Amino acid sequence: MPPVAPTELRVEGLTKVFRKGVKAVDDLSFDVQPGRVTGFLGPNGSGKTTTLRCLLGLVTPTSGRALVGSHAYTAPPQPMSTVGASLEASGFHPGRSGRNHLRVVATTMGIADTRVDEVLHLVGLTPAARRRVVEYSLGMRQRLALAAALLADPPVLILDEPTNGLDPEGIAWLRAFLQERARQGGTVLVSSHLLSEVQQTVDDVVIIRKGSLVHAGPLSELGGDGAAPVVVRTPDPERLVDALGAGAQVTRRPDGAIVVTGASPAEVGHAAFLAGCELHELSAGMRDLERVFLELTGDQS
Amino acid sequence: MTGWGALLAAEWRKVTTTKMVWVLTLVAVALSTVNVVPTVLLASGTISGGVETLGEGQLQNPAFITTVLSQAGTGALFALILGVIAMTGEYRHMTITSTFLAEPRRGRVVTAKMVLYAGLGAAMAVVVVLAVAVATYATLLPFDHTPLTAAMVGRVFVGAVIGMALYAILGVSIGALIRSQVAAIIAVVVWVLLLEAIVSALLPAVAKWLPGGALSAAMDVGMRADMTGSFTTADVLPGWAAIGLLLVYAVVFAAIASRTTIRRDIT
Ligand SMILES: Nc1ncnc2c1ncn2[C@@H]1O[C@H](COP(=O)(O)OP(=O)(O)OP(=O)(O)O)[C@@H](O)[C@H]1O
Ligand SMILES: [Mg+2]
Repeated sequence: MPPVAPTELRVEGLTKVFRKGVKAVDDLSFDVQPGRVTGFLGPNGSGKTTTLRCLLGLVTPTSGRALVGSHAYTAPPQPMSTVGASLEASGFHPGRSGRNHLRVVATTMGIADTRVDEVLHLVGLTPAARRRVVEYSLGMRQRLALAAALLADPPVLILDEPTNGLDPEGIAWLRAFLQERARQGGTVLVSSHLLSEVQQTVDDVVIIRKGSLVHAGPLSELGGDGAAPVVVRTPDPERLVDALGAGAQVTRRPDGAIVVTGASPAEVGHAAFLAGCELHELSAGMRDLERVFLELTGDQS
Repeated sequence: MTGWGALLAAEWRKVTTTKMVWVLTLVAVALSTVNVVPTVLLASGTISGGVETLGEGQLQNPAFITTVLSQAGTGALFALILGVIAMTGEYRHMTITSTFLAEPRRGRVVTAKMVLYAGLGAAMAVVVVLAVAVATYATLLPFDHTPLTAAMVGRVFVGAVIGMALYAILGVSIGALIRSQVAAIIAVVVWVLLLEAIVSALLPAVAKWLPGGALSAAMDVGMRADMTGSFTTADVLPGWAAIGLLLVYAVVFAAIASRTTIRRDIT
């Protein structure tokens, strides 16, 4: 990635009403900072794709603005050198090979064909490069969409559901890749309808519901109401429960593990040690962000 | 620095990386040559029925020979379809997303497409006219006939090349307006094969102002087959006026298409 001025994304009072009166985005405002990976979250149909398409100049807002840096995507002559985008792994001619798809895009931007082979290699698509897209799996199309976004090595990446269809290895690679881009000063916006899918990748979250903002800020501030639960396995659960005392709440999982809330792993370990209780596992569980997410985006809120 | 050269080169790459153009050209050649042999054989009396309806000695009539050559005009429908598929294909496969991401100045994209497909329409016309001329020449060989002159072929050639270039532009415009590939193809096929044929049979004075009438005039078709299959002298515009009229159609449709395409959401 070439060194460039940090570019932030700004969505200001964005509203989009489609014909037939569907209000897909409703007075939405948020910023996406450079140097961080931002997760753009919301349930199906909440307006994520519509917002991203507004940012990319593909959809005209009914009111409000969506800006890349200080101007609209469509303003500078060659926006793809600033912003790389992949939208739901769609938009390929089935009879064209992945390589030829990229060559078409590269030609428009005056990018050499050698760069096409570079990005194909980067996303691990070299073996399938000359096969027709109709023969691609969802994960392969996802990789192709990402390759197109990376053609001009842009400082800003806007990716709509990029993990959809990727295998675990691909997801792990993408996670590391996006974090590295952000570390180098790039701006990364990834959408998902599953918090758990991006939880380990993102620094910030923007959560929307029915086209409106429900939460924006660092992931660490999301649902900061309690400490993470502790997962314990022991052949003698009763003794451990007794040892923990009344301060901690204990639930038993069907697989035999005990989940303790209201105590740190150190406290649980210490109590077990004092009680002479044998432990097979003692680990900090993830805070239940998915539950927080559901509460934020569910109908009841 | 997305210049016109880069846009045209990208459009050209889209063409060469799919089979669409070659398939359509092949079909255009097949369908425009298929009538040449039976028409000549009918007129020569080799097949019965022709001399009775067409009259004696048609093979001596230069206007008849020109009419046979003008079968090349059948190719125009395929130039139209070529333009339609070029534009609607982008919507059908949603490649329009990456096209407009790479060049958000949508008017430029559509213009580059029109320029390139005008060229492809013209190239298709060259192939079709040559095929028809060869088929006509070969079928006439065994018979006593008025010579097939370079001037005759030249006139049809010029008319077909200009006409099919403009038809391809019309196709791109109609594709941009309708966007659904199936609907747009049905629309142009119904227009060319049904509506224009009906109008030209019932209201020839109106038909000469339609694109099909202008195309025939541009190719100097002195006669035209009516609904019963017999030849009558056609009421057509002068050649230069016909080409001008086609140009007006192409420009008007292109302007409307660019306007609407620029404003529509890509979802
Ligand atoms: N072209 C369109 N015409 C009318 N309504 C549309 C159009 N595109 C999207 N919508 C509507 O806008 C709303 C938001 O859709 P959008 O695709 O932005 O949601 P999303 O958050 O991306 O959902 P998902 O997680 O399923 O991808 C939905 O109600 C959808 O039906
Ligand atoms: Mg979506």
